[in-house]
Amino acid sequence: MKILLVMIFLTLWPYTLFSSEECMDCHSKKGAVIHFEDGGSMDATVDQEELRLSVHSNLQCRDCHRDKPEGRHPERRFKSRGHFKIKTSHLCRTCHSPQEIKAKSIHEELFIEEEKGIAHPCTNCHGSHGVKPTRKKVYRDEDLYCLSCHKKPLKIRFKNGETISIKVERTHLESSVHRNLGCSDCHFGFSSTSHPVRYFKSRRDYTIASSEICRRCHFDKYVKTSESIHYTLLNMGRLEAPVCIDCHGFHSIQHMGREKILIARRCQRCHNNVYEIYIRSVHGRALIDEKNQDVPVCIDCHTAHDIKDPLTTDYRERIPDICSRCHSDPSIMNKYGLSTDVIRTYLADFHGITLSIYRKQKEERLQPSKPMAVCTDCHGTHDISSMGIQKEVIKKNLLKKCRSCHPDASENFSDAWISHYGINSKRTPLLYILDKIYRVLLPLTIAGLAVQIVLHIWRYAVNR
Amino acid sequence: MERIKKFSTFTIIEHAIAMVTFLILAVTGLIQRYHDLEISKNLIIFLGGIDMVRIIHRSVGLIFSFEVLLHILAGAVSLYRGVEPQILITGRDFKDAIHNIKYYLGFESKPAATGLFTYRQKFEYWGIVTGSIIMSITGLILKYPVDTTKILPGILIPASKIIHTNHALIIVIIMLWHIYNAIFNPEVFPLNKSIFTGYVEGSKNIIIKKL
Repeated sequence: MKILLVMIFLTLWPYTLFSSEECMDCHSKKGAVIHFEDGGSMDATVDQEELRLSVHSNLQCRDCHRDKPEGRHPERRFKSRGHFKIKTSHLCRTCHSPQEIKAKSIHEELFIEEEKGIAHPCTNCHGSHGVKPTRKKVYRDEDLYCLSCHKKPLKIRFKNGETISIKVERTHLESSVHRNLGCSDCHFGFSSTSHPVRYFKSRRDYTIASSEICRRCHFDKYVKTSESIHYTLLNMGRLEAPVCIDCHGFHSIQHMGREKILIARRCQRCHNNVYEIYIRSVHGRALIDEKNQDVPVCIDCHTAHDIKDPLTTDYRERIPDICSRCHSDPSIMNKYGLSTDVIRTYLADFHGITLSIYRKQKEERLQPSKPMAVCTDCHGTHDISSMGIQKEVIKKNLLKKCRSCHPDASENFSDAWISHYGINSKRTPLLYILDKIYRVLLPLTIAGLAVQIVLHIWRYAVNR
Repeated sequence: MERIKKFSTFTIIEHAIAMVTFLILAVTGLIQRYHDLEISKNLIIFLGGIDMVRIIHRSVGLIFSFEVLLHILAGAVSLYRGVEPQILITGRDFKDAIHNIKYYLGFESKPAATGLFTYRQKFEYWGIVTGSIIMSITGLILKYPVDTTKILPGILIPASKIIHTNHALIIVIIMLWHIYNAIFNPEVFPLNKSIFTGYVEGSKNIIIKKL
């Protein structure tokens, strides 16, 4: 018995929440009666079950009874029950415009009679609190069915008092990449027969919960996102961390990749300080000034879904790979007269070699003793700019970068880096000559000593 | 059989130090130069990571450099005392080399007569000594690049890197030749023990000069 009571309570409690306004304190009780001037009376009890099953189950009392503001119950007088019905039927027209009503052929006749003075209150056919469609409507598609309510300026209210419009623009749906989906494809559990009532603490809670919808189709992205720094932050209780619909939107979802600047602007909403630095960099300026689509925007380096913490060693060690995606690609670099040798020359030098060994030994959990210089340490991250064209300027800029790791470095120190040109006879003649000497000396030594050994063994064998 | 004193105790100890440090340097150096090879990767991991390999290479390199310095000083002291150096390369050694190659090819009936050190040993010795000096200097430059460039031009760093990595290979090749001459050479196989005992067996070499 107790269990049964608990179950009844659990089924009804959302409804009690829904009608928590004072209205139901009186109108749910038997015995609430309205008296008319002609001596007649009418039961003013609202059948909660009937209301729950009606098409208006999601509306609040005040959505229809707009002349009854909170905390005050106007004393109004009606001549008769008929008068009351006509007056209350006018309430319907706040949402259902006369044009909309007239559009149904069945109503045409009624309007003509109304003009003649014969009133036909809506409630005569449709009922009041238990309002239902008079016949089962056949909608061309599901969208039309849902939009029959959701095209109206409806709002839902959250427990913390925030509201959100649940009006859906058909044009948004039609222009989105999901134009071929029906409402219930995303709004799982909703249909022409089922409209679950859900409760959310706040608008943000609702947004986060709504983003869970996406994973039913985009599971791969969901998995990637679950590895991202945003998801980690969300799990830590930082509710402002973005979820799917914060970046992609909802009913008007578009392809992201059309214009790169749009992607950057989405990130800008939260990371404005970084965006401001980025748009001043070589990449940012090309994107803004020239609308260049070759340059990287946020997601090209940080990825879109499995965005990792960029301050970790793991991320740092991947930076040469990230830069090389474009800077080793002749089809992009040739357009701007840039060298594709940058990564090769970096990896051939001390920092690059050490980094690649660090990466190999990582599998064995051997941690690097110190961070190694990668592309961004000399060239910058969001503020990547030209190192300069004049030799003196480059040297000065470079020395500053060297000193961030080698604080004692003297002016000569930066010359130790022969830049990304590699060894060549014009820029580094000394290295070029040394390299050539050893290219001759090494094979000569090997050949000379090998001949000695072979001849010696041969003579020994012959003598025996 | 006549036993002739060839190496002093000091030289025997020097050789032992050089042998051990050289082996360590060669292994820890080669795996850095050929870090892309699977065996290098495994060895690096076995030794505790590249940072540890570098600590070993640099520390042992310092010991090796001291040994090189000690050897030069000892040589200088000997010269100062008026000891006649046996290891200097003379015109005769080149003649010996040509003579021996002729002998190997069958144009001469006997191998070249030799002094306390054969021309092969002399060439080995000087290859190793000059190489070790070069390796020590460039090694120190690479270990202290910031301090080096306080007085010397920066280009010395990449230059030292080229010399250090390439000359290392030359020394390794000479060392392989030395190992052949001292171990695998059929005339001395399984081992020429003179550097450990200090003596040579008189019958093996034709001795012109005695110590």
